Parts: sequence; structure tokens; C-alpha cells
Amino acid sequence: MTRILAVDDERLYQHLLQVNLEKEGFEVITAGNGLDALDMVSNRHPDLVIMDIMMPKMDGIDTCERIRQFSNVPIIILTARGEEQDRVRGLNVGADDYVVKPFSATELVARVRAVLRRTSSSEQITQNRYFTHANLKIDFARAEVWKDNKPVYLSATEYRLLIQFAHHIGQVMTAEELLMAIWGPQYRDDKEILWVSIARLRQKLEDNPHSPQHIVTRAGLGYLMPPIEKEH
Amino acid sequence: MSVISTSSHPIQVEHLYAISKSITQTLEWKRALDDISNLVRKIFIFDNLVVYRTDPNQEVMEAVYARATGRGRSAEADSAWGETAAYEAVQSQKTVLTDPVTPETANRLERPYVLGIPLSVGPQVLGAIIFIRFGGPVFTPESIELAEYISRQITLLIERQRIQEEYQILEDQHKQSRLQQDFVSTISHELRNPLGFIKGYTTTLLRSDTQWDQVTQVEFLKIIDQETDHMQELIENLLDSARLQAGQLRFQFQLVRLESLMNDVITRANLHHPDLVFNLEIPQALNPIVADPVRLAQVIENLISNAIKYAPGSDISITINQEDKKSIITFSDHGPGISEHDLPFIFDRFYRSSGSPTIHGSGLGLYICKHIIQAHHGELSARSKVNEGTSFTIILPGLP
Repeated sequence: MTRILAVDDERLYQHLLQVNLEKEGFEVITAGNGLDALDMVSNRHPDLVIMDIMMPKMDGIDTCERIRQFSNVPIIILTARGEEQDRVRGLNVGADDYVVKPFSATELVARVRAVLRRTSSSEQITQNRYFTHANLKIDFARAEVWKDNKPVYLSATEYRLLIQFAHHIGQVMTAEELLMAIWGPQYRDDKEILWVSIARLRQKLEDNPHSPQHIVTRAGLGYLMPPIEKEH
Repeated sequence: MSVISTSSHPIQVEHLYAISKSITQTLEWKRALDDISNLVRKIFIFDNLVVYRTDPNQEVMEAVYARATGRGRSAEADSAWGETAAYEAVQSQKTVLTDPVTPETANRLERPYVLGIPLSVGPQVLGAIIFIRFGGPVFTPESIELAEYISRQITLLIERQRIQEEYQILEDQHKQSRLQQDFVSTISHELRNPLGFIKGYTTTLLRSDTQWDQVTQVEFLKIIDQETDHMQELIENLLDSARLQAGQLRFQFQLVRLESLMNDVITRANLHHPDLVFNLEIPQALNPIVADPVRLAQVIENLISNAIKYAPGSDISITINQEDKKSIITFSDHGPGISEHDLPFIFDRFYRSSGSPTIHGSGLGLYICKHIIQAHHGELSARSKVNEGTSFTIILPGLP
């Protein structure tokens, strides 16, 4: 059965989504905030997520961005009329469609069906929520990093740099590519800022920052996270 | 140690350092000027010292600081205060030196030597500083140089003060506009929510492809009904608030019996919230008061609705006492209370508690309540203790 996760901090909206979608024969699970939604995406593997943007704690945009770190489950965001920038931000961080509140039940059901139709052809890849590299572990959903099972506190930039490596394992990335991806085009030649960040990242992650295992320099080419040889 | 020659004591670097230190370390500019004038007197002779500030158009000049020492003190207001030199210094943006008009007179007070130095930041003239010596000695080039140094330091002080004032104004405006922006976003959220539910549940009932059993239909209709009330309440609050702002909230005063008004309100509240427990205590027979019964009931209903939202599950205690012709209504819950941080602001227009973003509200309810009670020449106040509860007190005057 197709499973839909409905995320809204308003109990009445959860209920509204639930009654209408269950009537269509979908299984509906609900969450009241972004953090619970992340857990449900990684544990219950819904086929579609419908999510409000305005939520306390972690809003729909942040939640959407986090989900996209490890899953390509289709996401429909719910936005208020007149909040175009929210809609654009949502689509930019990986939402597939949006429905404007207040919505009619028929429109909602039609949108859900359309998104499911569009996305069912492409294979759903829900990567593992967790990523491990030797003694290093990343929880993409919660944006947390552990070394030897102890939490490591990274700045936002350091974290983004690290997941850039984790998503391109075994692939050498040039300084320019990294600068463009993380700092943006205006920093493309600012190599020193990258060096500082890589040095800081190594200080936090490596057993011996001068002989790194996680983020390795390929002189004259760039940097990479080498693949780990499986022992068994 | 480097020494600059002067007409009084030698100026040493440490004097200059002390002046600059009091500029950078004293936040209040008047105190800094006091410090400086004391420091300066040790190395620089003057009887009167005046700082004038001018408006940006240089039309009005105002003395903002004045000190008289020695001979200047004895003459009080009759003394010379150098306005002319100040004007000249501001106009010409140059140091102005005026000698006594009647150098022969025996009265030293009539022989002022006036030094006026413009206080300017870049091209902008902020005012002028005046040093006066009655009967001399004349200002030597060295002493003028020192006075100019002191003036530059004072300019920094005044400029800093001006920037602080402007910053404060901007900060206040910013705060006000942020409250208004928050209000607009809160109110649009608050109005859209019930509208969204009404639209959503109505169209759910209207779905042509689906049948709903009767129990479900009634459930949806009840939600629609409740949300319509919710919206009605919000719109009333918005209108009342706008009427208050425009001074157009009308009252119809008449004789009111508080106990029956309170019983009516409680009965109505129990109709919608049958589980809500009220402890009403009226220890003595009450005299009627003059009030607008509809508005007074609105206040009580608002307090009840707040208690339901912010102190869910708590019972509500209401006590009415009369003493010295005054009626005192206390209204208490045993909920989580209001934080010290929020308590002083709860009656402000648009203010919403920082700790409970998920609770609906417009930030208008208590603001309206306060004004309704004030229109009765009464008082509304709140006390609260975190984890113990909140208690509102309404004091209403009795019949004259």
C-alpha cells in the first residue's frame, strides 16, 4: 500500500489530510514537526511526504533540505497564499510540488495522485540515513557527526564540506569545485579559505591531521575521501 | 617625557593621555566633560567654558554644557558667555579670538579674552567650544593649539552622543516596526488557519467521488462550526483593537450585578467546555456597580479563553470582594505561569509570549481587556509564578 507521511503542526490539518487520503486507499502516517518527520522518513520509508512550511522547531524548508541529504522521496509542500518566496525556497531545496493553503480536498487528492504518477517511474533511492567512513559516522537527517562514537561539533561550512566529500566518495574534487559548491561563485579563487576549513576539519576528524585518512590531498589535483576497503 | 610649553603648568603627555582616556572610557558625555574640564584646569587657564551645539542648518545654537570657575562664578548670569564668538566660529569654521572691547576698564569681568573653536566632524559643524579668560592672560599660539586639541576630543564625545541618540531612535522605530510586522504575519496566520480548516472540511464533505457516514459528517461540521467561531472572535478582536486606536470603542454603562454577570459567563463557558472547573467565591453580598455588562463579560471571557489555551487542564478560581466601595475580582489558574521575561509586556498591543509559538492568538486580547477596564476607571493587573500559575486582578470603582 502506498504510504503517505503528512507533516503539520496543526492537528486539524493532519486530520484533514489523513481522512481525505485514507479515503483514496493510502496509508497515512502523521508527524507534528520536522524532527519527527525526519525520523519517520528514515524509519518508515513513506512513498510521499506532504509537509507544511510554517512549523516551530524545524521549519518545512530545513526539513526538506535534510531529507534530500539521504532520500529522494517525493515531497509536496503546503504554503500560505501570497508567500511566493516560501514556495520558491521549497522547490529550490528539492520539493516536487506545492499546494497553497487554503486548499480544496479534491485539489489536494489530485496533486498527490499527479506527483505519485510522475515519480513512480523513476526508481526511489532512499540512501542510508547514516554514512560511515572508518571511525567516522554522519547522520544526514540530524546533521550530526560522530568520531569513535563521540559527537564532533562542526560549523555549518565544515559540515557542508564534509558531506560534499561523503557524497563523492573516491572522487577527487578540485579546490575550485569545492569553493563553488560550498562558498559560491564569488569565492572560486579564494583557495586559502578552503585550506583553513580543510585544516580545521582534519583537526576535528582525523586521528593524525598530518596523515589524514578521511580527507586526503592529491597534490596538484584536489582532495578526496578515499573508499574504505571492506574487511569482510 | 615630552613637554609643551604653556602659560600655566607644563603640559605633559600624561595630561593628554588622561583627557583621551576619559573620552574613551566615560560613557556619559556630561560626566566626561566634567572630567575633562577638571583635567584641563591644571594645565590651561580659563574662567568660563561653554559648549554650544548647533542644529544641522546652523540656525539655532544652544548651550549644552557650561562651567564657570574663579572670576566667572561670581558674576553668574551677568558674566560673558561668548555667544558671538561661538556664532563666528561656527560660521567661519575657524578658530576665533576676541580681545576685550574696553581693555582699560578696571573690572576684569568687563575685559574678557574669548577663544572660540568650531566643533566639526568632516564638513559638518556640530557647534563651538568657548574658553573665556577675564582680564587675561591673552591666549598664546601654544595655548590655542592645546585648546584645539581639547576641542577635537570634545567633538568626538558629542558626535558619539549624537550617534547614540540616533541609534536609540532607530532602535525604537525598528522594534515598533518589528512588532507590527510580527503582528501582520501572526494575524494572517491566525486568520488563514480557521479559513483553511473551513475550506478544507467543507470541500471534503463536498467531494463528489466519496460518501461519508453520518457520524463523520457531523464531526466535520462541528469542526467547521468551531472554526467559524474562532474566526469570528479574531475579527471582533481586530475590530475592537482598531476602534480603541481610533478612540471609537463605545460603552453602555448601566447598573450591573457582578454575581449574576459572572454566573452567566461561567454557564456560557461550560456550554463549550463542559470539563472546565470553576471555583467561584463570593464571601459577601455584593452591591451593584456601574459598568458595561457586555464589555465586562468580554474581559472575563478573554481571561477564561487564555486560561484554556495557556493553562490547559487547570481549574479556574474566581473571587469577588468589595471593600471601600471597590470591587476586586481575582481570577487565577494553576497553569505553567508566565515567565518574568514576558510578564511586563502581556498587556502590550501585539505582544505574544515567546515561549509558546504553537498557541493561537492575536496578541490583542489582554490589550483590549486592559483598555476596557481602564474605561471603567478600574485597573487590571497580573501576577504570575512559573509552575504555580497566573492570577489577574480587576479592581472596579463602586457607585459614587
